[in-house]
Amino acid sequence: MTLETPPASLLEHYTSNPLFYDELLGADGQLRPNWQTFFESFGQLGQEEMNNRSQDMLRLLKENGVTYNIYGDPAGLNRPWKLDIIPFVINKEEWQKIESGLIQRATLLDLVLKDIYGEQKLIKNGLLPMELIYNHAGFLRQCCGIHQPGKHSLISYAADIARSADGKIWIVNDRTQAPSGSGYALENRMAMARVLPELFNGLKVRRLSTYYNALRNALASMAPDKKQNPRIVILTPGAGNETYFEHSYLASFLGFTLVQGNDLMVKDNYVWLKTLSGLEKVDVILRRIDDIYCDPLELKEDSQLGVPGLLQAIRSGNVSIANPLGSSILENPGLMPFLKTIARHLLGEDLLMPTIASWWCGQTKELNYVLENIQSLVIKKIYKDFTRSTSVDGAALGSAQIRELREQIKAHPYLYVGQEKINFSSTPSLVNGKIEPRNALFRSFLVSNNESYTVMTGGLTRTTAGLGNFVISNQLGGISKDTWIISPEPGRVLNVRKELERNYSNTHNGSLPSHTAENLFWVGRYTERVLGNARFQRTVMQFVSDGNRLSLENDMPSEKNLLMALTQFTATYPGFISDDDTLFENPWKELKIILFDEERAGSLSYNLVLFKRAVYAVRDHWSTDTWRVLRGLEDEWAIAEKAAKTGHHRMISALDHLITSMVAFVGLNRESFSREQGWIMLDTGRKTEQSLLLTSMLLSTLVIRNDEQTDYDLQEAVLISNESLVNYRYKYREHIQLPLVLDLMLLDPNNPRSLIYQLDRLKAYLANLPKQQNNQEQPEHERLVMAAYALLKRADKNILAHLNTGSDQYEHLYTFLTGMQDLLSAIPMAVSKTYFQHAQTQKQLFTAEINIL
Amino acid sequence: MLYKIIHTTVYTYHEPVSLCQNIARLVPRSSDKQVCKKSVVTIQPQPDVSAEYEDFFGNKLLYFAIQQVHKQLTVTAVSEIEKIANPVSIHTGDASWEDIKQSFAIETHELDIRQYIPETTMTASSPEISAYALQSYTVGRTVYEATLDLMQRIYKDFAFKPGFTTVATPLSVVMKERKGVCQDFAHLAIACIRAMGLPARYVSGYLETLAPPGKEKLTGVDASHAWFSVYIPGMGWVDFDPTNNQIPDGQHITVGWGRDYADIAPLKGIIINSGPHKLIVSVDVRRVE
Repeated sequence: MTLETPPASLLEHYTSNPLFYDELLGADGQLRPNWQTFFESFGQLGQEEMNNRSQDMLRLLKENGVTYNIYGDPAGLNRPWKLDIIPFVINKEEWQKIESGLIQRATLLDLVLKDIYGEQKLIKNGLLPMELIYNHAGFLRQCCGIHQPGKHSLISYAADIARSADGKIWIVNDRTQAPSGSGYALENRMAMARVLPELFNGLKVRRLSTYYNALRNALASMAPDKKQNPRIVILTPGAGNETYFEHSYLASFLGFTLVQGNDLMVKDNYVWLKTLSGLEKVDVILRRIDDIYCDPLELKEDSQLGVPGLLQAIRSGNVSIANPLGSSILENPGLMPFLKTIARHLLGEDLLMPTIASWWCGQTKELNYVLENIQSLVIKKIYKDFTRSTSVDGAALGSAQIRELREQIKAHPYLYVGQEKINFSSTPSLVNGKIEPRNALFRSFLVSNNESYTVMTGGLTRTTAGLGNFVISNQLGGISKDTWIISPEPGRVLNVRKELERNYSNTHNGSLPSHTAENLFWVGRYTERVLGNARFQRTVMQFVSDGNRLSLENDMPSEKNLLMALTQFTATYPGFISDDDTLFENPWKELKIILFDEERAGSLSYNLVLFKRAVYAVRDHWSTDTWRVLRGLEDEWAIAEKAAKTGHHRMISALDHLITSMVAFVGLNRESFSREQGWIMLDTGRKTEQSLLLTSMLLSTLVIRNDEQTDYDLQEAVLISNESLVNYRYKYREHIQLPLVLDLMLLDPNNPRSLIYQLDRLKAYLANLPKQQNNQEQPEHERLVMAAYALLKRADKNILAHLNTGSDQYEHLYTFLTGMQDLLSAIPMAVSKTYFQHAQTQKQLFTAEINIL
Repeated sequence: MLYKIIHTTVYTYHEPVSLCQNIARLVPRSSDKQVCKKSVVTIQPQPDVSAEYEDFFGNKLLYFAIQQVHKQLTVTAVSEIEKIANPVSIHTGDASWEDIKQSFAIETHELDIRQYIPETTMTASSPEISAYALQSYTVGRTVYEATLDLMQRIYKDFAFKPGFTTVATPLSVVMKERKGVCQDFAHLAIACIRAMGLPARYVSGYLETLAPPGKEKLTGVDASHAWFSVYIPGMGWVDFDPTNNQIPDGQHITVGWGRDYADIAPLKGIIINSGPHKLIVSVDVRRVE
């Protein structure tokens, strides 16, 4: 193949394959006009710049925390999102055809959905077989007869579209219950617009914003009683879900509250959001949970993701949900062969876009056809079955497997559909720095605008990992593409966000869902735990590595004491609290474990995992700069673990970097976090943890009297670990001694590391938490912090540092610190009980066995 | 014959519960075999929310929520049922069960009948179940004869053994161990009939028990009961009780029906609490006249 146009060199690795329709090249081997236009601009970048921009884009996505979770793969959590810098390009004429075909499809499916959950005329008139609907796991009998406001039942709809070898465009899949991908499509566009701004301006790429505006309008107009400014929530299964990034991204983009099932409750037939300030009524739910999981009272009984009584609240018309429960009945490949007739019957129209030829085995003729041609078909079940793959390529099966599949089909023919296989078209993709062909599947998104449907002018294209490999799934490692509809309509894309913000008003700011509050509290606690542990570990490791261990015998008791204190402080038992002397002869092995071993409870890596989990669960709270710091921290820590083999100093410098990043995280939050309830929770967590850590460090280092040198070393270590050595020298200009150390670390209100400083803040924060209604008593958490404060105020440095004759333990100090620890550790429990109401668990009530003769 | 049924369920929680939501199917429906003259469900403590409606299968359903702290929940259903003396008259014609099955396949029957043909999770078929059914559904037999035979064989082959199975025990275990309770036998029979391509439904209700001769009947010794029903063209839905090997006539009182137990569980609920709870159920079935 030769090309005379400028992109020729870029495309030297691109070859057509006659098995597939080629998106790029026409039958004459020349670029199709839309690609010609594209490469005229894109080609000007040149090979090197193209790769640079691609790298920039991937880095941008990573730094922005764009991720995708892979189920069942521990390393698959928060996997960076993959985006190809070369978009999928659709020209104007073709797009018009696709658009009208999709609108017709959505309109038709909406009517089918309403009929199935209403009069069932299609079944009664023989246009739809009863078995195809009644045997589908998504047909929820509990949902029959429920009506929600608005013209359409099907609010949002997504379709997977592909082009076969003959150039025809087909609908491959329908997504009707909680279609995913529209958030990724938006993020893809944002990233592309950032790294290729000149292309968008030159090529007139259609923008995406109309879709998101329509989505917001559609949800708002569903509110019961046409309520103005309704509260809309996005219901997510939680941070472990594969597309959690998107849930969180859409929530913050659209200005909705992101909630989990146990953030909500049904009371008086209404749905309420549990917030720090009490219950707030919810009007509309955009769900990202499969329908059977939404209500354990009436649907899947052991679901912990849903809201008990939700269906009853919907039935009462007090809350609306999109898409309505039961809409997964349309995710049914068995419907495909019937749609043609139904379209004529309901719309008086022929289908504008064909569906893939499908044979539903519930009919004798079709069953026989599928059994005879099984090897040339794709066999699908009519509904998603979580126990095994729901789509099987007959050609990939051995003869024993074919026999088995035939038996399965014959046993329950109405559950199976045979589908024609189509070869998806190939499109240019950037693979390892070269442009090569890959097969593409395009997902388009539609939303009701109460008259008709609004189609996203763009979408999410995914390509196969290799050419001719037809399994396209993000779960299996596909790559995504932005989708460009090139049209003369003026389309500057950079102002998508602005355009949306214009008509965006959110009156529901401020009150924090209980789940979010708890996660922020824990982000605060883990931040300080990681920092506190890292600083103490660094101090100890520095000490161990500085002491010339063989010649300076008198360093050994100090070192031993510090190592034991480290085990105690980090709670990484048994560690150095053991009789094994070899541990002290070479402490580095254990030191490395408590740094890097995720499996060891209390290790730094272990706490980092917990920190990250909490951070990701409230991911929409972090600024772009904060994400960059977090991503850098993760990368550096992973590298540090590998480098630790080459020398102890590497471990210490890894701690230096970690501490710097964590301090940057704290600092950025202080800079950018709005001073509302979220901030209070975050900082309450920090102050609680700091107070607890300080108390615990003093307990593990200072309550026993040792020889003078050892005591000096321990006290110095405390000051270093708390960044207070400079303060000490400046304030006292004295040799380090216990009463003054205690004065500085406990009682000095000007030392930002002292206990009194933390308690002052904590007292103010706790007093600022919303009060529970009808409760005149002082809340438990306030009582506890006041008691801790009073205990501290009564303390006297000289009494604390007083040693009874004959004793080697500072009794007063010990009593004081343990008393303080008891009060402080009760505070998180009291806060949790009052404010984290989602933590209550739900349980089924069972009836007895039926037993009668 | 007029019956009065008192069905009481008491849940006692180990810890106080602040929110409890329930769905009760305790109000008997009327049919050609009975008239529900009166049925009152009393709940202690008084529910804050309650709503009555009919479910997909036409059963009477009561949703209620208790939103105040309580340690005990009592649900009492008191119903008066007039049984219609309507003994089963056998006029099955001579159509074989295979012919009847064919007639369902070509969609000549109502949805309300055909929807009971497909199996459910609780009535899933297997080669063992089909083989067991085929011993009764022999070539050319009428549906009535074959089903009667099936009922008799289940009664003979399976031991009534309370406590061996739970609601979640699959039929494969029942088949293997050859024991269970009334709901297992009903599910088994339904699975057999559906495996033959015929419609069968699960019936939930009560059975009057009689005191031994000369003794007075004790209160609350009755229990909920379950059996199955088969649709026979010309006869309609005909009930069979495999636990007692009889075609119910006067002493079976129907509450409702569905595809299996899950459709017609008498009472189910969700509480916000993780502690254990204790359950006491008592049923009393009495003749009023």
